[in-house]
Formats: sequence, C-alpha cells, structure tokens
Amino acid sequence: MPSIDRRSLQHFDWLLLGLVTLLLAFGFANLYSATRSGSEVGLPPEFRRQALALALAAPLMFVAIAMDYRRLERLANVVFAASLLLLASTLVLAPLTRGNRSWLIWGPFSLQPAELAKLGLIVALARWFQRHPPGRIQRLRDLAAPSLIAALPVGIIILQRDLGVAVLTLLIACTYLPFTGIPWRSWAGLAGAGALGLAGLWSFFLKDYQQKRILDFLDPSRDPLASGYQAIQSKIAVGSGGLLGKGWLDGTQTQLRFLPTQHSDFVFSVLAEEWGFVGSVAVLGLYLCILLWGLAIARNSKDAFGAMLAVGIVGLLFWPAVINVAMVLGLAPVIGVPLPLFSYGGSSLLASLIGLGLLLNVSMRRYMF
Amino acid sequence: MPRTLDRGSDPVQPGRVRLAMVAVGLVFGLFAGRLFQLQLIEGDELRRQSERNSVRTMRLEAPRGEIVDRDGRVLATTRPAFGLEVVPDDLRNPERTFAALGQLLGEDPSGLEKALGKPSRATRFKPVRLADDLSPDQLARVEVHRYALAGVATEVEPRRHYLEGDLAAHLLGSLGEIRSDQLEKDEFDGYRSGDVIGQTGLEAVFERRLRGVAGGRNVVVDVAGREMDVLEEVKPRPGRRLVLALDLDLQRAAEQAMREVELPNDPRPTGAVVALDARTGDVLAMVSRPAYDPNDFAGRIDSATWKSLTTDEWVPLQNRAIQNQFPPGSTFKAFMAAAALHEGVINEHTTVFCPGSYWYGGRAYRCWKRGGHGTVTLHVALRSSCDVFFYTIGVKLGIERLSAFMTTLGLGHQTGVGLAHEAPGVMPSPEWKKRRFGERWYPGETVSVSIGQGYDLVTPVQLAVGYAALANGGRVLRPRLALRVEDAAGNEVESFPPEVLANLEISDRHMAAVMRGLEAVVSEPGGTGSRSRVAGVRVGGKTGTSQVVRLERTLGMAEADIPKRFRDHAWFAAVAPVEAPEISVAVLVEHGLHGSTAAAPVAQRVLQRYFEKTGRIAPPPPAEPAAPATPAEPAPATLENLQAAAGGARAVD
Repeated sequence: MPSIDRRSLQHFDWLLLGLVTLLLAFGFANLYSATRSGSEVGLPPEFRRQALALALAAPLMFVAIAMDYRRLERLANVVFAASLLLLASTLVLAPLTRGNRSWLIWGPFSLQPAELAKLGLIVALARWFQRHPPGRIQRLRDLAAPSLIAALPVGIIILQRDLGVAVLTLLIACTYLPFTGIPWRSWAGLAGAGALGLAGLWSFFLKDYQQKRILDFLDPSRDPLASGYQAIQSKIAVGSGGLLGKGWLDGTQTQLRFLPTQHSDFVFSVLAEEWGFVGSVAVLGLYLCILLWGLAIARNSKDAFGAMLAVGIVGLLFWPAVINVAMVLGLAPVIGVPLPLFSYGGSSLLASLIGLGLLLNVSMRRYMF
Repeated sequence: MPRTLDRGSDPVQPGRVRLAMVAVGLVFGLFAGRLFQLQLIEGDELRRQSERNSVRTMRLEAPRGEIVDRDGRVLATTRPAFGLEVVPDDLRNPERTFAALGQLLGEDPSGLEKALGKPSRATRFKPVRLADDLSPDQLARVEVHRYALAGVATEVEPRRHYLEGDLAAHLLGSLGEIRSDQLEKDEFDGYRSGDVIGQTGLEAVFERRLRGVAGGRNVVVDVAGREMDVLEEVKPRPGRRLVLALDLDLQRAAEQAMREVELPNDPRPTGAVVALDARTGDVLAMVSRPAYDPNDFAGRIDSATWKSLTTDEWVPLQNRAIQNQFPPGSTFKAFMAAAALHEGVINEHTTVFCPGSYWYGGRAYRCWKRGGHGTVTLHVALRSSCDVFFYTIGVKLGIERLSAFMTTLGLGHQTGVGLAHEAPGVMPSPEWKKRRFGERWYPGETVSVSIGQGYDLVTPVQLAVGYAALANGGRVLRPRLALRVEDAAGNEVESFPPEVLANLEISDRHMAAVMRGLEAVVSEPGGTGSRSRVAGVRVGGKTGTSQVVRLERTLGMAEADIPKRFRDHAWFAAVAPVEAPEISVAVLVEHGLHGSTAAAPVAQRVLQRYFEKTGRIAPPPPAEPAAPATPAEPAPATLENLQAAAGGARAVD
C-alpha cells in the first residue's frame, strides 16, 4: 500500500507542489480561453475533457508520490515491460489516424501509450544507472546497454509512424548523457557514430515515403504555405500582446481563431497574446524554476536511482517545452509538439503529472538513508 | 576496496548538474529575449496588424494534365469553372445580400441561405460554396455588383472537361472526391480530404502524373474579406499530359457502330469493342456500351444522375471490354486450331469425318449441323465452324496441353491492361477444377471446352490479345493504353514501350494455315463472317455465340419475342490484313443473338476506318455522313488562362 511515513511528510516538497499547481492553474485558465466559444453555453468540450483527464491523473499522481520510489526500482522491469506491451498493442489495436497508429481508442476515451512509454523508459534507465553508477561510466561502449533499452520504445514508436514522438523519446534518453562520467572529447566520437548510423538507416532501410515523412518533419517549410501561415499568425498573436497583454479572454487573434491548433501546439501564443510579456515571462519562469528544482533534487538524492529518475523527468518536461516555445516564438520550424501542462491532451497531462509526482517522491525521501 | 569519497556520496557529479542548470537557464533567457523583441519592440506594429488585417491562406488548384489520343487530339482537358463563395463572418447584411444574389443568379434566395447553413464559431471564417460552375451571364452579373456585396467572392477552379462526352468514357475514367479509406493509404500520401482525384479508368491509373501540384497564396484580407495584399505565393504546377495509344477516329467508328447495332426489340444495344495494333498491343479503340458522361462527375454529380447510373439494369458504369467474361463460343476455335498445329497433333492436311455428332465416353456430342459436315480439313472446319473437328483435336490434345497453351496465350488471367477491376476470365484445367469445385476433371468436359462452351470464359480484351498473338507469330502483347507522358512544354518525361508477355513462337506455316481458315470465314461462301468484309483488304475472322440460358427455355420462340436477358451473346473476332496482320478486333454484343449479324458488322466498321486511315483503301465520298459532327472545342484552358481568369475575377475590387 502506498503510504507516507511521518518523516517523509516532514520533508514534503511543498515548494515544488506549489509551482506545479500554479502552472496547472495558469494552463487551465489559458486552455479555457483558447477553446471558449462565445456563442455556446457551458464549458468548451476540450476544456471539459482536459479537466476530466486531470481528475483521472490526480490519484495516479498521488500514488506516484506516496509509494517509496525505491520500491519502484524493484518493480522497474515490470513497469518498463508493461509500458512496452501497451505501446506495442497500438500496432495491432490502434486505428490509423492522421497517418499514424498512436492512439488506443475505447469508447469516449483515447490514450496515447507513447506518453506512458516515456515514463517507463525513464524508470528503466534510472534502474540501470543505479546498478552502473553514472560517475563511473567513462567509456562510450558502456552505454551499449542503456542504448538498447532506449531503442525498444523508440523502435515501436517508429513502427507507429509517429516520428515526432520517437525523436522526443530519443531526446529524453539523451538527457542522461551529460550526467555520466564520459569525458567531453568522447562525445565527438558519439556524434560521429550516431550520424553514421542514421545515414546507413536512411539509405538502406527507409522507403521513399518514409524518407519524405522525415524530411517533412525536419523541414516543414517543404509545405511552405501551411507552415508560413501558422508562423505569421503566431508571430502576430504573440507580438500583439505587448507588455501587459490584451487580457484574459480578450485576445483578438485567439478569439477569432486564426490559429488552427491554438489549443494544442500553439497554446503558448494564446497566453502571450492575452497576458503579454509579463504573463509569458512569468510562465516561462515557472517552468524554469521547476526544471532547476528538478536538477537540484537530482543532485541532492542519495542514490543513483532517485537522481537519475529526477534527471529523466526534467528531460521529460524540458524537451517538449523548449521545442514548443521555440516554435511559437518563430525560433524553430513548425513541429507538432505539445507544451507540457498547457496544451490540450490528456495522455501528455497524465504522463507529466505522474512524472512530477515521482519527482516529489524523490525529493521528500532525500534523507531516508 | 574503499570507494573514493566524492563518487560514493554523490550519485551524480555536482559539476555536471551545475552545467545543466546553466544550459537550461540560457535557453529560457533566450526565450525571454525573443519575447522582449516581439512584444515590446515590434509589439505596436504587430498589434496594428492584428487589429486591421488578417491573413488567410487560399489554395490554388493545379490544372489536371490533358489526355490526348495518339495523334494529339484532346480527349480530356481542364477548363475554368467559376463558383460563388461566401465568408459568413464577412457578410454585412445577410438578408439583403441573399436577396440580391438570388436575383443575380436567378435562384431562390432562401435556398442559398439554406446552402450556407449555420456556420459555427470555428467555421464562420471559412468560405462556403453556394453555387458551382456559374454561366458566363451569371458570372458577369455577380461581378458587376460585387462591390456592394461584402463577403461574397467568385472563385475560379480548374474543372475537368471531356470534349467527346461519353466517348471512351470507361477507358478515360472519371473523377471524384477522395474517400476516407483512400486517404489512409500510402498511395495517397500528401492528399487531403476534399481533394478530387481520378477514381476510375486512366484518370485513376495515372492520377499522380495527371494531378500536378497545388499551390497557394497567403493573402492579407481586410474586414470585408477583400484581398489587400499577397504575402507569398506558390504557383501551382500543372499536371502531366498523357498521350494515349487510342485512335480517336477508330474509337468514333467503333462507338457509332455499337450504337447502331440493330437488334429486334432492343433499342439500346450493350456490349464492347476492343481494337489492338497486332504488332505493338496498342489499344486503338476500347468501347463499352451503355456509357455515361464523365463530365457529370467532374463537378458535384447530382443525385438523380448518380441514381440512374447505379440502378440501371445494364450497369453503364461497368467497363465491359475488361470486366465482362463470357464463354468464347466458336471464336475459341481459332485458338484450338493453332494449339493443335503447334503441338503437332494435326497438320494442315489432317482430315476428320463429321457425321453430325461425336461419340466420347459413351455419349454423343452434337455438331451444330445435324447432318454433319462430312470429311473436313482444318480450312473447312474453321470456315464452317465444324464442332466435331474441334472435339476431335481437343481430345487428341488433352486438357493439360490445351490448357497450358491457352494460358500462355493470355486466357484465364488478366491481360495486364492496367485498368482496375479487370476480370481474369477462366481457362479450366484439372487443377483449376480441383481448386474451384474440389472435383476431378471428367474427360467429357474437355470436349465442351474445345468449342468454347465449357467452363472457359474470356473478356473482349483477352480475345483481342489472343487473336493478335495468332496473327503475329505467337507474341502475347500487353495491351498498351498509353504511349507516353509529357510535361507542360511537350517534352517526353516517360514512355511505355510495347511489352511481349509471352511468346508461343508459332511457325509461319501454322500461322498461315489458321489465317487462311479465318479468311475463309469472311470471304468464302458458307462462311459466317461475310458481314465483316472490307473491299480491297483480306480480312480474317470468326463468329461466336455464347449461350445464356438452356435451349429448352427459348425453344420455338421467335427471336424477337425472346426477352433480351435470355438471348445469346454474340462474338466476333477479326484480324487484317491476312497476309501481314496489323490490327485485331474483338466485338461483344451482349444478347446479340448471332455473331454474324450483330457483331461482325461492328468489326467491319472499325476495319474499314482503319484501312481508310492508313491509305490502303479510298476514304468514303464526302456526302456520306460517316463521322459524327465534332463538338465545338472551347478555348484550351492553359494554366495562364486560368491564372488570368482568377486574377481578373478578383481584380474587380
């Protein structure tokens, strides 16, 4: 049974929980504005669905906090296997939607197992690093085993044809690299080997249409009009926010729905338009605080499993957030990556909250040795 | 062994964590700087843009490539079609606008308002199409008054146009909106819902090449939805031009001949014609009747037309030239003659005595001529279509050899013409029967197969390919529909050479024997193909009948009284000129009763036209109304014309 002993409770990380709660509140207020429809009464359907996802995620987050994370270490293989099994089931069970098989659909519910697979991967890698202390990993060849672990979910996600998520998952796995003891000069070799491997994969294994998909993903300007339109609209929306913004529910670009995916991938532009420079910087500040706090938790953890769990969860939040904000601000090409805790999407919210729960877990048990 | 202190107490190196913190901080600092730039430095300008103008994306459809015949005569092209669109959010005074539009278009205003529907919040910025394909009059009236109609726009769109109406409709195919199941296929990668694609015929086969690449422009529109400025534009790239092997003259002759087939109590003959170049496999004509007008599918097909096409008893949407398979009847005898000669079962001089029936396995198989043909040679057997002769050589060959020869000749499997839904036909063999019915082959069945009345089924295109092979020394050719693909400038970008799928290597002597027999059918007294004679050309051919219902059902009825669906199908297959064959023709007249009267005259018209064209015989005197009047051709719709028309329509602002 998950339970919190008194000692852990004394060290409960109220600051982190407060930051997360604040960010969630901002996110939901913003999502309401992005999905609201003036003429219809009641809450917008996307907002309602997201609130339902939050209600379902909260108890799971509590479990993630309460259960001693060292028990999770013993269960790591089971958790990883289960996440892979769920992920692989999409290959058989998921219908083809918008070109990929990423969604399990059951009545009104839909789940993107890849989001949970990211958590499974983080747990599995953390367990591996517990047994092979990161500080002592000096040679690239020591990374063969964790690379293999990462290749499993990434491979299945590629089979689902969801290249965006596959790349994100790979980036999360790469988050661990700087925390190993591998000297900087070895990294050049790693980069070279990676490039060579990719080139081989590209020319020998990928069919024409797969190559085209990848090119489209890497360079959306291949369809210049569609991405150009979104980039212009996003820039206008963000810029027109000015210092203080147009006010909640008062963003003209948002309320006139010029952005086609403003409640998912472009949700940050809604925030920037309605809350202005002050609001946007505040939200980015919240993200920054959570990420830095997560790294601090990693540093203070007394065991490698906890530390690497924290590192992985920092990666889980960092990569999509950075890619998404860079895209909205016109610093990166238009790539469909959601902003954690802000974008519409239940699976992403679920994974983020469970991850943050684990982070709180590691944080409050830092004196347990 | 004691661990070193720093690594023992710290699972991660604090230095690395500090570095990560700095990196994360830098990235977020960069974001803050970018926000500062966009919101505080450029903020005022962007805010003005957000208030005054809005950017919309308009798609510019690429004109679909032309389809032309072998001489470059246009069969399918693209013309501009003007539609009327309304952006609900831009309507100033909906009631007055609809009243005005109703008057200008000559339509009911309430109907237009209904067509608009109730746009939701999310869709009220999307243009809604209220009228399709405006007449020039309607277009002019709307354009003159458009300054007063905020939110109303005319849009030009390329529209497929088939110049010859229903001519070669099944071959050319038709367009239709992409279906959701198609969207999910890799084949349609890059398509989006609402796209109009080739759904049947060559339009479907060559979809990717004909399609071209759509362009678009991002435009700034003012509050009334009028275009103020073009931010960026990507020009559409027109589709490729498809040059067919088809000969429009032969196609016209065949279409007309099929329309004019005279049958008792059957005003609308149904059937198919396939004419091939016997040397290359070029499909010179491919007719299927009844037909439909593919222009009906180019826009939005109205439900009445669709209903009548899909519920018609005689299925006009079906391409009979490749989809209908029937027993070949006596047309099969030419194949039998070639097989028996080639396999050495008989020679040109072998004789068989026909007493009127053939005893085999304890039962009599009748010749169609009760009294018998007496002693017949191959020549006489072909001319008189003597069943007993072919029963005899069929049994001598045996089903295995017979079946193997016919399969190589192209029967029992698709010819590879490349159109969808091609029927494979049936060439039975003992293995086939085991597979199909789980039963063994009875020797008596070989007898029926030998005269084309057993399990064997052929399509018109298979018959044409088979006769071409008999005429060219045994080369089985893939029917070639398209010669090449050209780009907009007329340069060849792809070509399709003739393809020999199999070669039976029939000797000249054997070929000549079969050809002389076929010629006798047409030219000698007592032959059944006399109605396919072309003065000045040696024509060889063979009639065939495939029984539809048991004889007892129609016994004693006058032909005119037999309901159409119970009448026998009529076949005719021909090659010419006999001394050096160039063309093979297969004609199927469904429920045409007799190959000699229904089908042979159709082949005659096609051959006549072919040899007039090649200069072998004199063309008919000009008084004769042979060819139908050419429909007036509209100005060719080039990309430039379309763009100009689009620009013109918008320039009124």
